[in-house]
Amino acid sequence: MPDQLEHLPRLTHLLPCREAQIKTLLLLLGEPEHYSYPSIFIYGHRASGKSHVTLTLLKELKMPHVVVNCVECVSLGLLFEHVLLSLFGSSHTSLPRGPSLSDFVRLYRQLCSEDPAKQTRYIVLDHAELLRDMSANLLPGFLRLQELVEDNVTVIFLSEIVWDKFRPNTGCFEPLLLHFPDYSKVELQQILAQDSCPSYSPELYSSYISILLGVFYSVCRDLRELRHLAALNFPKFCEPLEKGEAKESDAHKLWRNIEPHLKKAMQTVYLREVSSVQWEEQQQKEEKEVGELRGLSAYTHVELPYYSKFLLIAAYLASYNPARTDRRFFLKNHGRIKKTNFLKKHEKTSNHLLGPKPFPLDRLLAIFYSVVDSRVAPTASIFSQISSLVTLQLLTQVGHDDQLDSPKYKCAVSLGFVRAIASDDLHQHALRWTADHRTLHLRHHPVGSHPTSCCLWVRCGPRAAVWEPVCVQRRGIPRQPPALDQPQLCVDCAPAWHWLR
Amino acid sequence: MSKRKVKDQQLTVGQCVCQVHRILRERFCFQKLPSAPVGLESQHKHLLELLKRTAIHGESNSVLIVGPRGAGKTMLLKSVLNELLDVKEVKSNILLVQLNGLLQTDDRIALKEITRQLNLENVVGDKVFGSFAENLAFLLEALKKGDRSSSRPVLFTLDEFDLFTHHKNQTLLYNLFDISQSAQTPVAVVGLTCRVDVLELLEKRVKSRFSHRQIQALSPMDFPQYVELVQQQLSLPQEFPDGRFAHEWNNSVKALCEDKSVEDVLRKHFNLSKDFRSLHMLLFLALSCVTPSNPTIKPSLLLEASRLCTMDCKANMLHGLSILELCLIIAMKHLNDHYQDEPFNFEMVYNEFKKFLQRKSHSVHSFEKPVVIKAFEHLQQLELIRPVDGSASRTQKEYQLMKLLLDHTQVMEALQRYPQCPTDVKQWATSAFG
Amino acid sequence: KIHDFHNLQINQFYLSHKCVHCSSASGHFVFFIIYATRSLIIQIHQFILQEDLNKKMLDGLLEFVKKSAASFWCRDDDWMSRMRASEIPTAALVLGVNMPDHTITFESMTELLHDSLTPFVASVQAKECTAMKQLMQKVLQRLMGTNVMVDEDECHLCMSVCVCHLQKSPVKSPRKRLSSSQSEFLQSPPVVVIFRDLEAFSPQVLQDFILVCSQYVHQLPLVFIFGIATSPSTIQRMLPHSVSSLLCIELFQSLSCTQHLATIIDKLFLTSKFHFKFSAKVLQVLVGIFLYHDFSVCNFIKGLQLSLLEHFHSQPLSVLCCHKQEALVHAQQLNDRDGCVMKSQTSLLHHPQGVCQKLLKSLHKYHKNFYPALRCLHVLTSILPKYPLGKQIRELYVLCLEKKVWETQEYDSAMQLIRMLAKDELVTCLQKCVEILTFCKSKKLKKVGEGSAENRPVPPSEGNTLEVDHHALLLHPFCVPAKYTLYASTIKCINHLHHPYSSFNYSFQTLLEMKECRRTRRKTPYEILRNAVVDYIDNLVKTHLYPPESQPLYEVWYYSSSGTVRRHLNATPRTSIQTALSHPYCYLQNEALKNDSGIISSAAPDICIIYKLHLECGRLINLYDWLEAYATVATAAEGKDPSAIEGGKVDELKHARFIRAVSELEFLGFVKSTKQKTDHVARLTWGGC
Repeated sequence: MPDQLEHLPRLTHLLPCREAQIKTLLLLLGEPEHYSYPSIFIYGHRASGKSHVTLTLLKELKMPHVVVNCVECVSLGLLFEHVLLSLFGSSHTSLPRGPSLSDFVRLYRQLCSEDPAKQTRYIVLDHAELLRDMSANLLPGFLRLQELVEDNVTVIFLSEIVWDKFRPNTGCFEPLLLHFPDYSKVELQQILAQDSCPSYSPELYSSYISILLGVFYSVCRDLRELRHLAALNFPKFCEPLEKGEAKESDAHKLWRNIEPHLKKAMQTVYLREVSSVQWEEQQQKEEKEVGELRGLSAYTHVELPYYSKFLLIAAYLASYNPARTDRRFFLKNHGRIKKTNFLKKHEKTSNHLLGPKPFPLDRLLAIFYSVVDSRVAPTASIFSQISSLVTLQLLTQVGHDDQLDSPKYKCAVSLGFVRAIASDDLHQHALRWTADHRTLHLRHHPVGSHPTSCCLWVRCGPRAAVWEPVCVQRRGIPRQPPALDQPQLCVDCAPAWHWLR
Repeated sequence: MSKRKVKDQQLTVGQCVCQVHRILRERFCFQKLPSAPVGLESQHKHLLELLKRTAIHGESNSVLIVGPRGAGKTMLLKSVLNELLDVKEVKSNILLVQLNGLLQTDDRIALKEITRQLNLENVVGDKVFGSFAENLAFLLEALKKGDRSSSRPVLFTLDEFDLFTHHKNQTLLYNLFDISQSAQTPVAVVGLTCRVDVLELLEKRVKSRFSHRQIQALSPMDFPQYVELVQQQLSLPQEFPDGRFAHEWNNSVKALCEDKSVEDVLRKHFNLSKDFRSLHMLLFLALSCVTPSNPTIKPSLLLEASRLCTMDCKANMLHGLSILELCLIIAMKHLNDHYQDEPFNFEMVYNEFKKFLQRKSHSVHSFEKPVVIKAFEHLQQLELIRPVDGSASRTQKEYQLMKLLLDHTQVMEALQRYPQCPTDVKQWATSAFG
Repeated sequence: KIHDFHNLQINQFYLSHKCVHCSSASGHFVFFIIYATRSLIIQIHQFILQEDLNKKMLDGLLEFVKKSAASFWCRDDDWMSRMRASEIPTAALVLGVNMPDHTITFESMTELLHDSLTPFVASVQAKECTAMKQLMQKVLQRLMGTNVMVDEDECHLCMSVCVCHLQKSPVKSPRKRLSSSQSEFLQSPPVVVIFRDLEAFSPQVLQDFILVCSQYVHQLPLVFIFGIATSPSTIQRMLPHSVSSLLCIELFQSLSCTQHLATIIDKLFLTSKFHFKFSAKVLQVLVGIFLYHDFSVCNFIKGLQLSLLEHFHSQPLSVLCCHKQEALVHAQQLNDRDGCVMKSQTSLLHHPQGVCQKLLKSLHKYHKNFYPALRCLHVLTSILPKYPLGKQIRELYVLCLEKKVWETQEYDSAMQLIRMLAKDELVTCLQKCVEILTFCKSKKLKKVGEGSAENRPVPPSEGNTLEVDHHALLLHPFCVPAKYTLYASTIKCINHLHHPYSSFNYSFQTLLEMKECRRTRRKTPYEILRNAVVDYIDNLVKTHLYPPESQPLYEVWYYSSSGTVRRHLNATPRTSIQTALSHPYCYLQNEALKNDSGIISSAAPDICIIYKLHLECGRLINLYDWLEAYATVATAAEGKDPSAIEGGKVDELKHARFIRAVSELEFLGFVKSTKQKTDHVARLTWGGC
């Protein structure tokens, strides 16, 4: 009788650097007609050849198997259908709508009673980690499928995540764990060297690969990524040869040529800042205009309506500054504030480490009104701008409970972004009759760069903030209750406008 | 060679090994029932008695079999059932309904399944029932209207019993237990569960109807018995075609079990857990390496197998990380040490990392922030770190609060075993201050 | 376009409805007015649609899709692209934050792709696919057409099905007009998926979808299009690198929306073809809304339409706001029917009866001259430092609408600056002016243009200097109708210019020489010419750029009630609630309520009384005190003296009314109940403390 290990040399030729894994796998699977362990769990890093090895094995040994990529299974029905179809051909008795696991098992039993397994059937579930959040009983079910359907079937799970993260709290049938270690540097070298460019000698390519690994190995060991990078940068590497400046022999010259280039690639192509096509085009160009290549994140500037800008700036200030300090920054005549306890020293540093803090709408408006030093009526469009900033994800709304009364927001943009907004001149799109000094004033606004906030609303009720800074700016008279004839500044009733919108 | 010539029936080594695999794999993987129950004799007897009473004398019963996973509950039940069905009048009489908590996830499905297993679909047809109870009652009625006036006893087995308690106000359980109380139809309800506290999960009305009969599927095994069990599990049956080979094999197994190193391995496993499943896995791994080229099962194989079984996954994954990712993990570790496992965000980690770079690093050169973010994301994908609150997807990546899912020791030993790890990184990891 | 049609329906209704009450315009004009409005509105719509605002971007996009599809097919033989095979080509369109406008863009884009390239275009919006499942459904439905019932049988819900479907289905689509050049796409057109609003998609869904698609990138020529409102870096923000590494992103940026605004104003307002104008105020309001609140062109157009309707139903003379001939006819009718209408117009006070036609003609002529002149002025002033008359032409336009521009000191300073312009700048400007004038409608200015045109062939033989007087020559015909004197003088100066060159070849090439020559004589001929030119321009302005108010019958074209527009387009709900509560008189005209003093009139509705009372309270309001205060006021209203209610005895009726009023106030969000004190309510608005 045949010994499964006879396949080994052939397979190892197909799948380099995976001999050990292939061997174990072969042994575990055993003879086609024998039983194999009910469920095998294979884990390892991305592009460590999990699925590739498994599939080639199953294909080469011509075992009845089905491969399911769990990412694709948006519904259970899809998964089941797929399995049954490819194991038993067209299933004439199809699943009911929205099938449950029990339907699946029933149907499976029925079908396999019609043609019982002569060989072990294999169900390969790729990206198995997604099974966890499909349905609670799905994973345990598949783990003991053999027992449930009483058929010679083995389920193979593939995942990047360790088994410990899968185990449900009441435990389940433990699968057989099998680890695919990542490729070592040497192995990577060996594999990458295989797909060498036809027009050059393999030695050259492998030397190139070793340079590449020298740069990238400490950052990324993903075979796919590395292959991608290798392919993209190879033309650059060959450039001196093309031009005839260097021969394949003088490696040092080639190295000096490619090394800085790869460094650049690390910040651009590796992060997909620059698409591979652009990268190639840009390599065709001469050295001089290479400079002007900009990554995606270089285009951060967003063109915003005038008030949206100020709203965003206000939001930034509100969420990065402790509320105590508002008074100092937004009030002309804030009282004596002792330098000592003005900013606790950890605040200075940690604010940008801890990230944005939520703030109520009132505070946002308060700061807004004090930053825009023209008198802005709280028209509906101001508030719709806030909500549209949220839809643009420049602001985020937090705390979904008390929407109506006091919605809370967070600023979702970085300091650089806000700086850009604050300092781009409004000439181009502000009208002539908008006082341009606002922008200038804002550019040199002390709060533009560092922490601030609003305590007068602590002093006299939240809505005070809405009008008072304006009064201060306008007439320089603080704490004067608003006259009724100019209500648009004195009152801000969030619920009302929510209701009116 | 010479031996086999004398044999009445000759098989090549290959064929023998093949046979061995067939038999043992059935035993280990497919959980083929052993001829006699192992370790759980008393429970076996008890359960058999119970079910007999239902099957023959038609008195209702309900019982729970409680025991840890892989302790052989299912095996116990199966063997009992086999034995039960061997009895003639029982076989003709009793009806069997097998439910599984994994499959029948709610009572509607369960009911459909019951109907199917009692093959009453045609009887039910497309009737609509007011309540679950009516429906079930109707089913049992239908049974009664069978050939005889006295209705046939029905045996319900509920695997993963605890899952049934999650069903909407436990209707199924309630009705089953209720029937088992009232003497109308003889019903036996057997539940299998691995939860000791399962009774707490039952509602009061359900609990009160349950005869608090429990069978603990815990074998009072000590180590010698365990070893014995191992030997028994590995050894070939008498009816093995090639008696000579079987004999050799069994001897080798015997020798194996007496081996010192093997004993240590087994003891380790015994101390971990003495259930069948894990044992089977171990033995299966050993078995899988038996090939015609080496037709006997050697201690070395078993050692190898146990090594495979008790491998630390996380450590394995940590090996695959790049230097940069490793550095990030170390930074997180330091953060954890500082602020007693407070959650951290990317900015903090990056800050730590930068501090390290500034202080002392000749091997690791600094990277662009996006590059580091990418590494960070990779760690999150591997679920080595986890966002604290799931809803925080809307906040910026850099500020999402994270938790490290590795503990101090794991990190350290992973670092020790990390292939060519630069020394300054090691120092940084060991150094007290961030 | 369905929604346009719908619009028209509404407008028609609106108009006919209003015009019934419209006293002045006699009955049968109504229909005309409707007709006129509709035609105008249609005009606007057509403009918006055909003037598709970012043509360039779309063409680039089309190219991109073609290219990627092509590369998909030559993938196997090319080493590079084989190495890169696993990426999905993706176009990132940065469209700006004006969401409402995107719809038009995407519609036209889908049209374009569908007609010219591929039948397989699926465009999805965030709100219709909150989960992976819906997204799949939507995409597949739109790719495979509705004949495949995706939704009912969910097991069709995977790409693989789609793949085999697309591969077996021969490309047949009724609206397909493929030229032979694109025949190579026939056997497999690219599959385009458009994500209209990327920001709104849930990142998780997007990631999953991309992952799935990347499985099939080898079987299907997939192309993604992301519609991005903010900036491309959102892609990085939403997708983890592991996913974004599956995309090959190309960037496309649309025009900035201010440029859009400029085009619209240019096309719709700075032309005499479109007989509906804004007064300065209204224009300011609309532009203000655009620049301050939403960059939305659609909203701008809506505003335009609104004011159009308002104009037609409020302004009786608007019947004359149409093409010249029609207008004249109507004017005739108006004259013999009801001259009183004419009389009523302020701009006609000093004009005798029945001169209407003449005035109309002059109005038309005025506009014909106005805009070219305006453009010329803008050309000259927009290059000046610090833009004394504004950088954008709309600013200048508003200025001219407001007052006589030449009386402002900005204008003077501008002229000063022009008089110092360097030669080449001036020359280029003048050339522009000449072009403008040649292409303008007005006869008079046209003549000028032509005059300049035939002078053009004069070869600038002696280099730069001659060019100057060549242009000087160009300019003279301007003056022909206006001043002979200037003409003569310039002729003189030309001759006088000519011979010195022959004697000693004199050149203006360098500044140095300019200086030196300045020393030699007081004014260089160039300066003289320049002055002449500037004078001419000045004269041009003074003759043509009168503010429209100065024209008789200007109301016919100009819509000036900015208040209405503001109220409709930029409402201040809160303010109105405030006023309603504090000054009920504004809304219900009841004399009893008419008092400006702060005192609470007891005749006011309950809620107003309650509101006024609560204004005096602090953060927390004791309900009982409030009730009593209210009761006092209410009893005062009934004429009894407030002291009649003995302590704590408020009759049920008042109590009920009080409760209702309070709850109304709570509903408006002025107060809310608090946990701290059960018998108190908290103020949500801020008041005196």
